[in-house]
Amino acid sequence: MIRSEFRKLTTIRAPWLLLAAGPLLVVAGVTGLVESGGNVHDPSTQRTALAHTGLAAIFTLIFGILAVAGEYRHSTITDTYLSSPRRSRVIAAKLSVYGLTSAAAGLVCSGVALATTAAWWAERGGQLHLSAADTWLTLAGGVAANCAFAAIGVGVGALIRNPAAAIATALAWFALIEGIVGQLVGSGLARWLPFYAGEALGRSNLSATARLLPQWGGGLMLLAYAAAFAAAAGFTTLRRDVT
Amino acid sequence: MAEIEVRGLTKVFGRVTAVRDVSFTAHAGMVTGLLGPNGSGKTTTLRIALGLVRATAGEVLIGGVRYASLDRPRRVVGAMLESTGFHPGRRARDHLRVLAAADEIPDRRVDEVLDLSGLSDSAGRPVRQFSLGMRQRLGLAAAMLGDPQVLVLDEPANGLDPDGAAWLRATVRDLARQGRTVVVASHVLGEVTRTVDHVVILSAGELRFAGPLSEIGQTNDALESAFRKVTT
Repeated sequence: MIRSEFRKLTTIRAPWLLLAAGPLLVVAGVTGLVESGGNVHDPSTQRTALAHTGLAAIFTLIFGILAVAGEYRHSTITDTYLSSPRRSRVIAAKLSVYGLTSAAAGLVCSGVALATTAAWWAERGGQLHLSAADTWLTLAGGVAANCAFAAIGVGVGALIRNPAAAIATALAWFALIEGIVGQLVGSGLARWLPFYAGEALGRSNLSATARLLPQWGGGLMLLAYAAAFAAAAGFTTLRRDVT
Repeated sequence: MAEIEVRGLTKVFGRVTAVRDVSFTAHAGMVTGLLGPNGSGKTTTLRIALGLVRATAGEVLIGGVRYASLDRPRRVVGAMLESTGFHPGRRARDHLRVLAAADEIPDRRVDEVLDLSGLSDSAGRPVRQFSLGMRQRLGLAAAMLGDPQVLVLDEPANGLDPDGAAWLRATVRDLARQGRTVVVASHVLGEVTRTVDHVVILSAGELRFAGPLSEIGQTNDALESAFRKVTT
């Protein structure tokens, strides 16, 4: 099952193009930060630069969505269920394969983030703080965010089986809806929402709110979301007739 | 012996009863033709047999167990369904390698079934370049991948040219001669008289006839008039 899922990934091009967007985003993001006047002598700028690793999770989220929804789109899901009539095993295999692949993609992004940051800091005469715990926590959190959002994507794509609808819903949530919901419920509750939890884990703090969960709390929260979506899919999609 | 036993099968989709209390058996060493007009419940019956659709009542047993209880299902039952899809960018050989890995079938079997289905020369091409007939051949290759004792083929002749149709007939006959259980669903009667031993006719979700082909008519004309009689 696991080997079959890996083969599905390695025999088509689309997922790799998608994952390749991550490092590009990181390079562009770090460059933009410096070019727009980021102070390379400020340690918090260094953290913001490295935190682009976690922002690449937007691509692993889509990558994860396509795990199940993509199979419904091309009707290959029939063959998948014929091979494994116990459908929960299919979801479990996809969670591991997509999670692992996304962690690897996140690792690549973290390397790229570090190299790009080092290059710009050298260029601008900044001092890179490699030994600081903050540096490694930011990079590790970014890798974990890539992995966790892929797992969330697998659940979302299993729940909403139309890939276009699933991706649109996910992106709309992160770009717009979560911000509005966050304001409605107040920052005390908002920090439990997935985007804020992702910010806590990746230490990006785009929304500049002071009330994020601790990093580990953000990670646990994302795992809980991934489990909730996978469970919801288990009660709906996995029981539905495939016609 | 791996028979397919359909027992008191009923399936209701919303307000539509697609299959109503249908029972029949497909025996080993025979080709069973599952016939009926469009919408008669053939595909639904086969999908229930393969665990893709849940029965409202009744069950389908393959060699005495339900499909969902099979350990390596592709090694027991090979299926070719109309709605089975291919990723357009995936090469034919890779498509089969994906399926082989899921059921722990050795990769050399992939080349064997490519050969059997006459696709060896096109195996490196992405499926988007395949004609409908070639897709049908790839579907049949996938069904044969696990060297199964039971084959379930839904409208396998669709899109095949005369050569392809002749190849399909020979392959199906051959599989039955080797002692396998073969079920072929079709609404094309002409194909049937030359291939099947046993006939099951559905109409509006109900069983209208189940028995040897000789009982209903050996020639196309005889089968067609008998078919009209039982389905109207």
